[in-house]
Amino acid sequence: MANLRIEHLNKRYGATTVLNDVNLDIEDGEFVVLVGPSGCGKSTLLRMIAGLDGASGGDIQIAGKLVNTLAPAERGIAMVFQSYALYPHMNVRKNMTFGLKFTGVPPAERDRRVAEAARMLRLDELLERYPRDLSGGQRQRVAIGRAIVREPAVFLFDEPLSNLDAALRVSTRVEIANLHRMLKSTIVYVTHDQVEAMTLADRIVVMNKGCIEQVGRPLDLYYAPANLFVAGFIGSPAMNFFEAKVGSVEGGCARISGPGFRSFDLPATSLKVGDSLTVGVRPEHLGRGEDGPFAVEGVVELVERLGEASFAYVRRADDRLFVAEVRGRQTPTPGERATLIAAARDVHVFDAAGLRVTTQNDA
Amino acid sequence: MPESVSNITAQMPRAKLAGLLLFFLGPAVAIYTLFSIYPLVATMALSTYTSDPSGARYFVGLANFETLLGDALWSKPFWNAFGNNLIFFAVHMCVQNPIGIALAGLLSLPGLRLKGFYRTVMFLPTMLSVVIVGFSWNLILSPLWGVASGALKAVGLGSLFAPWLGLESSALVTLSLISVWQFVGIPMMLIYAALLNIPEELIDAARVDGLGHFRIFFHIKLPLVLPTISLVSVLTFVANFNAFDLIYSVKGALAGPNFATDILGTFFYRTFFGNQLQLGNPTMGSAVATVMFFIILLGLCLYLFLVQRRVRRYAF
Repeated sequence: MANLRIEHLNKRYGATTVLNDVNLDIEDGEFVVLVGPSGCGKSTLLRMIAGLDGASGGDIQIAGKLVNTLAPAERGIAMVFQSYALYPHMNVRKNMTFGLKFTGVPPAERDRRVAEAARMLRLDELLERYPRDLSGGQRQRVAIGRAIVREPAVFLFDEPLSNLDAALRVSTRVEIANLHRMLKSTIVYVTHDQVEAMTLADRIVVMNKGCIEQVGRPLDLYYAPANLFVAGFIGSPAMNFFEAKVGSVEGGCARISGPGFRSFDLPATSLKVGDSLTVGVRPEHLGRGEDGPFAVEGVVELVERLGEASFAYVRRADDRLFVAEVRGRQTPTPGERATLIAAARDVHVFDAAGLRVTTQNDA
Repeated sequence: MPESVSNITAQMPRAKLAGLLLFFLGPAVAIYTLFSIYPLVATMALSTYTSDPSGARYFVGLANFETLLGDALWSKPFWNAFGNNLIFFAVHMCVQNPIGIALAGLLSLPGLRLKGFYRTVMFLPTMLSVVIVGFSWNLILSPLWGVASGALKAVGLGSLFAPWLGLESSALVTLSLISVWQFVGIPMMLIYAALLNIPEELIDAARVDGLGHFRIFFHIKLPLVLPTISLVSVLTFVANFNAFDLIYSVKGALAGPNFATDILGTFFYRTFFGNQLQLGNPTMGSAVATVMFFIILLGLCLYLFLVQRRVRRYAF
């Protein structure tokens, strides 16, 4: 168990920059999820922590020790791969002990660790079987078992659930969360699935184009996204964005107006008249009503009924679509004119550079 | 769901089905029969005949085989050729295939530059004509004008040089090594392709487990390409027991010195077509060819029953 510190980490392949000045501090015992769209560099970052890829610049410290030049096995990490990467020609027991043999763990100790991991992961019955005889979920548990017996300082997970079917994914997610609670180890977990990120993480690291966009607790990212990218990435369906301008500023309040929604006052002191803004509201924060701090009107074009809620695709006056999540049995009907409102604290405002504008509503 | 093929064929009129089968399978069956099955059967049939000086042929049953294996005049050269063929095969198995595996292992190392270049260069001899290879090595190793002796002298090993192709003790091994040099590209390519098939994550997992390149090769890659290695072995066996061209182009049909390089192919050639004072004997030649066929068949059966059934292919 250990903390992990990444400083000014860079990765370039020729002219392409894959990681650009990544800085990250991970506490001992923390479960950190790296999330982002494909190609954002999250897997590369994980592989660099593991020592499978070298850095073009910057430092990685595990438990206060600089590990830049160390081989993967010397870093005190264990990794669970997307394809599980079990050795197909070894049975489960050998798969788990194979690495220990080469790192000088005596046989008795190996057996003890395997027995303990097998008990924890319910693998006892499977120890003599070969990977080909195991189901996807069982293979996944063996892969995790192989990581546990290494007794690493840091666990690295590379999209471990993406090869499982939906039901198994949910149950394995719970198992991983339980495992973290039991082992209390430091975990870095890569996924492109924001549900996994939100449910598992102590802290989420949102990455995009080789840079860290925001680091924070799951609900902080949800309620206070630091920029447009995080706002659009976290949450499903994605946040609605409205173009806006600052009309006037008076006594710490800015008048925000734009096509498609009713002008409103924003208690923010940093804005100037004429600033271009983007206003964002999540579909689930829009509700039917007459008038509110934020109100938008339009004609319902399409309704997706999920049961617990319906998604209404509404066309605004300026001919753009936005989505509102409507709860309850009364679903909107296409063609209906609707006014949707949101509370002031659910309205996110971003400046021209895409950064969050802090308002008194945030407090 | 689309109808299954067996359902469709079951409902088809007999004549239409027969026509379809003939259309799709006919050409291949015809060519295979004409050029493979017919010659094989005809050869076996011919091996049960003998001919008198007038050219008339008589059925003699298995008499040719009795002569071949029982008459010292025939059996001595036959067993000599068979023994030499085994040595020829052993050299390929012990030299060609390990080198092929090693080269494939080196080629599959991550971060190796000029991979394509090495691959092409090492495969190049395989594409050369055996006659040219044989002729070139004959010249290279010639004690009179060959470059081998000079090259050895240049590095201070001149005393090691001997007319290897002319000595009874070394001619066969030398020829085997020439063949190894020419064909090492085939096991290399097949095993290289199998190595490329191993998923990258498996190798990464082994690295995380603390294995270096060498151990990864021996503990992970090699066991996973065993099916390909056994395939290469059986291809080598068949090719070696059918070999003829290299010996013929380097040493001629007499496979000298003193039959030291005589293998079943050259023995068959002399028997069937005749050479110098030996008259051609097609019926006896057919008997030799039939025995060669059964030797290879036996080898393949042993392989299938003893090896193939135990080798497991891994799906990744």
